[in-house]
Amino acid sequence: MPSLEETTQKIRETAKKALADGKAEVVIGYKKGTYPLSTAPFFARTPEDCDQLIWSNFARINLANYLPGRPGKVAVVAKGCDARSIVGQVAENQFHKDNLYVIGVPCTGMVDNNLIAAKEQRPYRDYSETLDTITLKGADFSTEIKKEEVLRRNCRTCANRTPKTADELVGPEVPGAQADDFADLKELHSKSPEERMEYFKDLIKDCLRCYACRNACPLCYCPVCFVDETRPQWLGKSTDPMDTLTFHLLRGLHCAGRCTSCGACETACPVNIKVREFNRITEETVMDEWGYEAGLSWEQKPPLTVFQPDDEASFIK
Amino acid sequence: MPEYIVEENALKDFLQSISKGRVLLSPQGVGDKCQITETTPDKVTLNFTNTHISPKTLFFPQTEWLMSFQKDHSKPHPYVYQDLGDKAKSAVVFGIRPCDAKGLSVSNKVFQNDRFTDPYWKGKYESVIKVGLACKDPFPQCFCVAMGGSPYGATGLDVLAFPSEKGLGLKPITDEGAKLLAEANLKEADLSSELKSQEEAAIKAQGIPDDYSPIDHRGLLNLFQDPQWQSIAENCLNCGVCTFICPTCHCFDIQDEENSEGGVRMRNWDTCMSWLFTVHGTGHNPRPSKTERVRQRFMHKLKYIPMKQNGDRGCTGCGRCVVLCPVNIDIRSVALRMSTLNMQKQA
Repeated sequence: MPSLEETTQKIRETAKKALADGKAEVVIGYKKGTYPLSTAPFFARTPEDCDQLIWSNFARINLANYLPGRPGKVAVVAKGCDARSIVGQVAENQFHKDNLYVIGVPCTGMVDNNLIAAKEQRPYRDYSETLDTITLKGADFSTEIKKEEVLRRNCRTCANRTPKTADELVGPEVPGAQADDFADLKELHSKSPEERMEYFKDLIKDCLRCYACRNACPLCYCPVCFVDETRPQWLGKSTDPMDTLTFHLLRGLHCAGRCTSCGACETACPVNIKVREFNRITEETVMDEWGYEAGLSWEQKPPLTVFQPDDEASFIK
Repeated sequence: MPEYIVEENALKDFLQSISKGRVLLSPQGVGDKCQITETTPDKVTLNFTNTHISPKTLFFPQTEWLMSFQKDHSKPHPYVYQDLGDKAKSAVVFGIRPCDAKGLSVSNKVFQNDRFTDPYWKGKYESVIKVGLACKDPFPQCFCVAMGGSPYGATGLDVLAFPSEKGLGLKPITDEGAKLLAEANLKEADLSSELKSQEEAAIKAQGIPDDYSPIDHRGLLNLFQDPQWQSIAENCLNCGVCTFICPTCHCFDIQDEENSEGGVRMRNWDTCMSWLFTVHGTGHNPRPSKTERVRQRFMHKLKYIPMKQNGDRGCTGCGRCVVLCPVNIDIRSVALRMSTLNMQKQA
């Protein structure tokens, strides 16, 4: 596997070339963050800008989020999951494929900062990273953590680490994890409806209704989200548990057959709610019903957007 | 006023004493669960960084019921709003950080000033005695010094507590704080020189602070019209994380919710990051894009509030938004850009 530095160099070269060849007016990638264990989305418009682009174990936010509605030709740095989101956006007519250049980065998973916090509670002001390790540097200590141990949970089960629909890959393909068997949902399925309700209520009890999960999600591009509708107002604005749960359940359902498990929602959540739990359930249902995984090829049609005259369901005829 | 000392093994007795007849509030839990909640003296710890989200929830809960009405004509005053009353309880909070106490004092001037008094805030804010805990070892996210504060700052506090060589040092700040300590039968001690040297060391530990003072001198329109807001806004997701976890963000939305029997008027936290925050009934929105919304957040904190509050900034450097912003929009970098641009213009 190429090192982070090698991938960084390759991203910079590819970005410069995309700008020079007129494939893009802007390259959306990542730059180093201002705080340990962070990156920031970065919009490179000149070759000098491109030298700020990096690759990192903290490139968690899904940059596809910046595509819908963006004018002009755009190149975007994409992991496997991000590239799948882009395919979905194109299928849903949110971005024109002709204006797009996807710089694919075969990904070995991104790090969950909460898992790092659980391993090292002492304050650190500096850090370094390689493809396999994170090193935290405090005043009188240096702690090395294996990346494998602190991967985000969606990255641990990711079967599509190589963005196969990308226009260009900046490194060799990486094998994905085994096909997803939704083992994480087994316990939930064993619960009764009442227990499941309690589980969900408990899951979201810290929710601030800040909607960072929604705003970080590349699928949530609605001009007006149903929670923001005022005429009529569908949903209360308070911390009422049913209103909050309704938001999460409906968002989960809206993402059915579209979610690519990029984990941006969980990365963005300030109170560490396992937001993806709602999407996982619909992901499994769509897999069971139609054997469909979102965003794997430009040709596939999202099952909830197509109609077939020979559909076996009677209500649709 | 004299300082006092509480020896380590006497902390519980001290907390017992100050919480007599009052609710004791103190940070509990770890990591993202660390919050100031009702507790008992034996559960109080000095070993925490800071609460995950700001303690403004104590005085300004995310959802607060203000009034209610009922629709039953057989009952008195149908369809007339009745005050839901003040739920304020006499309390003492132990362990609020200086940045948060200062931040809440900024909000206090918004909720209570020579023009308005908000009874819901006032009742709660004034019934809580605030014992702050100084930050001997500032954390990596801290920049209170750059924002004009100090890890040993006393603004908004009644008592400042700090870890002394001999135990827990206590410095009364207000008369109420002095009374609280006097009634606790504590040992007096002259800790002023220790306090001073600790504060100096803690300030030094934050490194050389950025200088944001040029923002104060730069003209309002000049800052407002700066083309760079667009590039600062480009990253922003317009989620409300930064505003919700902030100790000084205080904007709210009033809503009525009703059912067949009656209804309540409530206020909920709102966020200037949302387009809905400013949209008019006509559909016109004076802050139509991310650019205007992002500008509002930083201008409000770093320009408008200082203009209205004698130079006190609407950011106290707690660092929560720096850590929790999903796309790493760092208020320090923004403030520096607002400052540096000015320097260039002056040069």
